[in-house]
Amino acid sequence: MHTKPNSLGDKYAEITVIAVTALALVLGWFYKTSIENASLPFQAEGITVAAPKGWLQADPANDTEILRVININSSGFSTTYVVSKITIAEDVPALEVASIVALNHAQDLLAFRVLNQQEVQVYGRPAYEVEYAFVESNPDLTHSELPKVVRGVDYIFVENGQAIVVSYQADEKNYEADLNRFLLFLRSINF
Amino acid sequence: MTENQSGIHERRHFWRDELLLILSIVVLVVVVYALDNALQPVFTPTTLLLTGVFLALIPAGIWLVFFNLQDRAEPEPKGHVLAIFGLGALLAAAVGVPMVESLFRVSNWIYTSAAATILGGILVVGFTQEFLKYAAVRYSIYHTDEFDEPTDGVIYSTAAGLGYATVLNIQFVVANGGVDLGAGIIRMAVVALAQAAFSGITGYFLGRAKFESEPIWWMPLGITLAAVFNGLFNWLQGVVIRPTVTLSGATNNAWLGLALATCVALLTTGALLWLVRRNIKRLQSAE
Repeated sequence: MHTKPNSLGDKYAEITVIAVTALALVLGWFYKTSIENASLPFQAEGITVAAPKGWLQADPANDTEILRVININSSGFSTTYVVSKITIAEDVPALEVASIVALNHAQDLLAFRVLNQQEVQVYGRPAYEVEYAFVESNPDLTHSELPKVVRGVDYIFVENGQAIVVSYQADEKNYEADLNRFLLFLRSINF
Repeated sequence: MTENQSGIHERRHFWRDELLLILSIVVLVVVVYALDNALQPVFTPTTLLLTGVFLALIPAGIWLVFFNLQDRAEPEPKGHVLAIFGLGALLAAAVGVPMVESLFRVSNWIYTSAAATILGGILVVGFTQEFLKYAAVRYSIYHTDEFDEPTDGVIYSTAAGLGYATVLNIQFVVANGGVDLGAGIIRMAVVALAQAAFSGITGYFLGRAKFESEPIWWMPLGITLAAVFNGLFNWLQGVVIRPTVTLSGATNNAWLGLALATCVALLTTGALLWLVRRNIKRLQSAE
């Protein structure tokens, strides 16, 4: 069988295939980002926030919770954002609120451990950051699966006799990759 | 002028093997499903995992056996076919799966809407898979003397596609710590049939690009078509197998998915056969 010689056209065709594939992947990346960053406005008790679109809005777990959204598509532990509002005395410092929040976590969450805590500035606003980890285990004893290690971070804002706690919890495997989406959520909060 | 005189072979055995592959996979699924239901075997985690991996290798194994049998009539180096199969598998494991699962993390967003399933399926999953299968052939056997027939494009691309499918199936088994044999074998068959069919499209374009002077957009068109079919198939597959929930329970529509994949594989093979035959006749008359 006669094989035609490799021409300059073949070389260009080869480059074009790579270019078309690269273009498709770049478009795919932008499309992925647009879906992941899509949001819906949420407003309650004087707090406004751009909640992720397509996530499940779950019932609040306690009286202080205002918003709890869960990404049911994430692998392992479902990535969760929680916004809580706690009424406090005027002179209570953020560190003290952080201790109360950590104590509550320790009561509710399995193998809860604080990894790091510090004062930070969140988009120009003073806040207290508490990083932690815990274990999520399926309560159904017939499930023969390993418990999941979850990483979380709370940002505590203390203003005018109220503390706003914004929490991010994700499977340890997804924590870093999902962090940017959470920062977008954090940035959108107004109170 | 006869085929032998012109030096152009249609490789009729190859097309017969393709059809036998499709039918054998369907038969295999029925047999494994029936055995699983009848015997209800009990596995340890390790044996379940090993059984799953073994089943993942079967579709490619069937094709290679048929190919080996016909090879006596129309010699095509088995080593090369196996190497392309391995290269397809290697590219899937080293690049394709990490790119789709870890970099693009498609499972987090691709099922949020029908548009996301189609566009994500084409732009990310389709292009990644089809380009890698194309690369397995284009940057290895394509430039050698062994790639000496237009049909070789389809043969080697199918080998790369089955290699890719094997890794996808093994990854699925390992990620889930083994699979339910009945449901698992259907999924594996669907993946193998679909990957082989879509890579056949790229292979047809590769075969023509090698032996004819095609325009610059020819090969990009081939990859794009394969990626579009890949994305559309995945979306349609999701629609077809979605369980119907009623008051009496949920229905299992996995068999519809297998029927869809079989139809797609048969239609693609038929279309490729017709295109290749037409092309060969044209080349013969030109000679």
